[in-house]
Amino acid sequence: MTKLLNNFSKFILAVLLIFSTSCERDLDDLEPATFPTSADVFIDGFVGGLNYAAFGGSDVTAFDTDTEIKYAGTTSMRFSVPDFEDPAGAYAGGAFFLDSGRDLTGYNVLTFWARASQPANIDIVGIGNDLGDNEYIASLSGLAVNTNWKKYYIPIPDPSKLTQERGMFFYSEGPENGRGYTFWIDNVTFENLGTVVPVSSGIFNGEDRILTVETGNVFNADGFAVFNLPSGVDQRMSVAPSYFNFSSSNPAVASVDLNGRVTVLSEGEAVITASLGDEASIGSLTLTSSGQANLPTTAAPTPEIPADDVISIYSNAYTNVPVDFYNGFWENSTTQSEDIQVAGDDVIRYSQLNFVGIQFTAPVINATAMNRVHLDIWTPDPTGAPATFKILLFDVGPDRSFGTSDDSEHEVTITSPTLQTGSWVSIDLPLTDFPGLTARNNLAQVVLSGDLANVYMDNLYLYDDGNGGGGGNDDEPAMAAPTPTRNGTDVISLFSDAYDDVPVDTWRTDWSVASFTDINVAGNATKRYSDLSFVGIETVMNQVDITGMTHFNLDVWSPNATLFKVKLVDFGANGVFDENGGDDVEHEVIFTSPATNQWINYEIPLSDFTGLTTRGNIAQYVLSAEPVGAATIFVDNLYFYNDDGGSGGGDEPTVAAPTPVNPAANVISLFSDAYTDVTVDTYRTDWSVGDLEEVMVAGNATKKYTNLSFVGIETVANTIDATAMTHFRVDIWSADATTFKIKLVDFGANGVFDENGGDDVEHEITFTAPATREWISYDLPLSDFTGLTTRANMAQYILVAEPTGSATIYMDNMYFRN
Amino acid sequence: MQTIKYFRFSPLLKLLLAFLVIAGFTACEEDKTQNLEARNWSLTWSDEFDGAAGQGIDATKWTYDIGTGDNGWGNQELQYYTDEAENVSLDGDGNLVITARREAFGGSPFTSARIKTQDLFEQTYGRFEARMKTPYGPGMWPAFWLLGANIDEVNWPQCGEIDVMELRGQQPDKIAGSVHGPGYSGGNAITSDFTLENSRFDQEYHLFAIEWGEDYINYFVDDFLFNRITPEDVTGEWVFDQPFFMILNLAVGGNYVGFPTSQTPFPQTIVVDYIRVYQEQN
Repeated sequence: MTKLLNNFSKFILAVLLIFSTSCERDLDDLEPATFPTSADVFIDGFVGGLNYAAFGGSDVTAFDTDTEIKYAGTTSMRFSVPDFEDPAGAYAGGAFFLDSGRDLTGYNVLTFWARASQPANIDIVGIGNDLGDNEYIASLSGLAVNTNWKKYYIPIPDPSKLTQERGMFFYSEGPENGRGYTFWIDNVTFENLGTVVPVSSGIFNGEDRILTVETGNVFNADGFAVFNLPSGVDQRMSVAPSYFNFSSSNPAVASVDLNGRVTVLSEGEAVITASLGDEASIGSLTLTSSGQANLPTTAAPTPEIPADDVISIYSNAYTNVPVDFYNGFWENSTTQSEDIQVAGDDVIRYSQLNFVGIQFTAPVINATAMNRVHLDIWTPDPTGAPATFKILLFDVGPDRSFGTSDDSEHEVTITSPTLQTGSWVSIDLPLTDFPGLTARNNLAQVVLSGDLANVYMDNLYLYDDGNGGGGGNDDEPAMAAPTPTRNGTDVISLFSDAYDDVPVDTWRTDWSVASFTDINVAGNATKRYSDLSFVGIETVMNQVDITGMTHFNLDVWSPNATLFKVKLVDFGANGVFDENGGDDVEHEVIFTSPATNQWINYEIPLSDFTGLTTRGNIAQYVLSAEPVGAATIFVDNLYFYNDDGGSGGGDEPTVAAPTPVNPAANVISLFSDAYTDVTVDTYRTDWSVGDLEEVMVAGNATKKYTNLSFVGIETVANTIDATAMTHFRVDIWSADATTFKIKLVDFGANGVFDENGGDDVEHEITFTAPATREWISYDLPLSDFTGLTTRANMAQYILVAEPTGSATIYMDNMYFRN
Repeated sequence: MQTIKYFRFSPLLKLLLAFLVIAGFTACEEDKTQNLEARNWSLTWSDEFDGAAGQGIDATKWTYDIGTGDNGWGNQELQYYTDEAENVSLDGDGNLVITARREAFGGSPFTSARIKTQDLFEQTYGRFEARMKTPYGPGMWPAFWLLGANIDEVNWPQCGEIDVMELRGQQPDKIAGSVHGPGYSGGNAITSDFTLENSRFDQEYHLFAIEWGEDYINYFVDDFLFNRITPEDVTGEWVFDQPFFMILNLAVGGNYVGFPTSQTPFPQTIVVDYIRVYQEQN
């Protein structure tokens, strides 16, 4: 966007040299000059061949000539700075440049006179902007002007470089406090002034910078110089690196080109220094290179979202929309970028990342039909707190003009544990996480920033997850999972913000059938699995010893799971996966018809994992769900804990009662998973004093009686003939029973309960101070029930415990045997 | 010890300067030549400032003025004069360096130094010269000058003052040469200035000198005569017929130069290659 105001005919070169015989010059110095050496740029009008072009986005009418207000002669240059949000442009700015270069080596400063309609600081004035390479830009920032005419000086940092310069003068100035004003510039000319003297110069802001780098890193030097003006004051200016003469102490390690671009080539150390003219510049860059970069060895996960639901900005899996650039090299950005391949997959390698802009304006993206943004990143850098990685989405608004009031944007910060070092991390965020992004039909930029200097990026796309379209999303939790409250010392955590997590190899093994993304739910890191059949999570590299733990905890939210399964696998003492089983053990716990659209807190006793007979080398955690291949689950707070901690022992059994081994043919079972039970009227008669709960202990159905004085179990409707049996067996576990009694009642030949006794017989056996917190198998010879003189109509089985009314017992495997 | 200094432009000298400037613009090969009376000078005193870096001044030749004097040495100067090596010492390359620093000391915001030959060397008539580079920047006020040795008896300005050179840091290409005496002191001093053509006095060494006789004082920069003051030029008693001593100092601020600004670069230095005094041989 340039507007050519002047395009004077080319300067006649022939005139020049014949009379430019300066007296200091010897004939030997005269060379066949091909460029004019004239000094004037604007005195009362443009010199020949001088063009003006307004900078993009500026008010193209800002510059004009003025015959009313001028420093000398007939005409000055007038610059009208617009108000903030002036529709004509946000600022005044442009360059005066020649069609053909000038030899300025005989001058050391561009001078001009300036005044303004009010005190102001002109953002930038300088030389060397030719709207081309701008190789020799030198500029002053914040030039103070007021209502008086004053002479200003733009020193040429090293005149010997300007043998054919086209950029005569440029400026850029925005409103002062939001309001425009006018300034005038007159008598712009190059001079050779002995009263403008160099004081110092520097690169890298004059600092001695020390960086640890790797091969391929690139650094661009910046430069400055200080000149003392005829008034005795120092004036600092920005100086393009091209003015400097750079050198590398070790060019094999790091090269530096004429433009101050430093490229790390190999392992070792190199120091970059510079001089301006004959004077050494202050500042240096000391590079310690570790050599070849630490690269990902595997490709990022291949996206599985159907292409129809995706607007892709960068991915091999999709056709990408037109992108202006993947690195805008914006001012103050140190970020370098490189297109590389990882395992055959195109990846963008960002290094020295402080921030980087990715822009797509031709056209902008209408993302109203999308509801999520996704990208995969891999970094070799430390990712522990407080390291951050930030994603900013920018909507340029209906006017499609940057910096206007209809723009909107929002930035989301990602931290550990979502961030991982040395593995691909899928960042997958609902657009509702970007509340500041008030519109998304003119998305124009993605800006990445944060603390990770080296980021490999792939699969940057927007998509619709098919659940809720562009509107609000009902298919994901709005709230974070509950924050765990257990004491950290009782916990071994794989994934929770509440605890320090142990190392996890992967949250999605490659043999999984699921899509996986790390997301934030209300600011809380959460694992999201979709298209799920099953997913493997592994701690093979750092197997977890959970022998001191009692429970496995996880919080799960699902919009659609009809079945949920958790399998734990222990690799056994040898610590490796055994193809044929070997000493590996595992167990899977199944939850049918879990509630949907709410966080479910699973606190699964490890005793439920009955097949998990060893627990010293837990290596795999397999989560499965139905509908197969279509379930979506969100998982948080995956950890083991020890519930015995602090209370001096658990109040419930963690292992199941011993599995009976008596042959079924020799058993009449009232309650046992091992046998087919006879019909039992009730496991708690209504005359019992105590409560009954059906519980699972280590996956084993168990009767839990609480607040117990006594409980009656009856087989009145179908009395049992136990005459052929020799023993009565029952397994009891209690944490608190001080006395335990078993009474057996036979209703006698009439088969009915006799109020006054009748032919009913019974006998009770008492056990004082039974062992607590362990399964006790009472395997009692029926001969011990001496009062039970008949047993052809066994009808009642009464369990009694003390402390009366408060005892708790767990009961399993009640049967007669012989 | 008041040393009020002031600047006044005589129309005659203005004409002369105009000529010089024009000559400067048009001169191509050689410096302009001046026809001066031939004199035969004999060295009577000198300090070449040879010695190790950091070494102080030769106590047989110089003494210090310390502190802030009376009302900033009569000029509302802002510095505190010290005898510290960081303000006044040899540089090891044959120079004396007086350094003005922006540092609070003794209630003043700057430090610097001022040395003199009072009671150690005093002379009537002759050539007094100093080869040096000046400081620069608003508020910097270097001076090489002489005071009448009878100052403690008759006070200033009766004692007389000859300013070989003084410079305002905001005009680093211009120096002034002046005399002060009874009836023509301070704002009424007899003075003239000299401006370098397209260069500055801080960029390279320049030789500042007076040649002083019974009825004249000639002022030179690099042996170029730019000012001559005779008894006819002064508007009072001619007091320049008795012994004078030398002073070299770097003031910061004061009513001759104005205040330093935030843009004044510090530290600033006078770098003196040598100071020599001659007596005319008959």
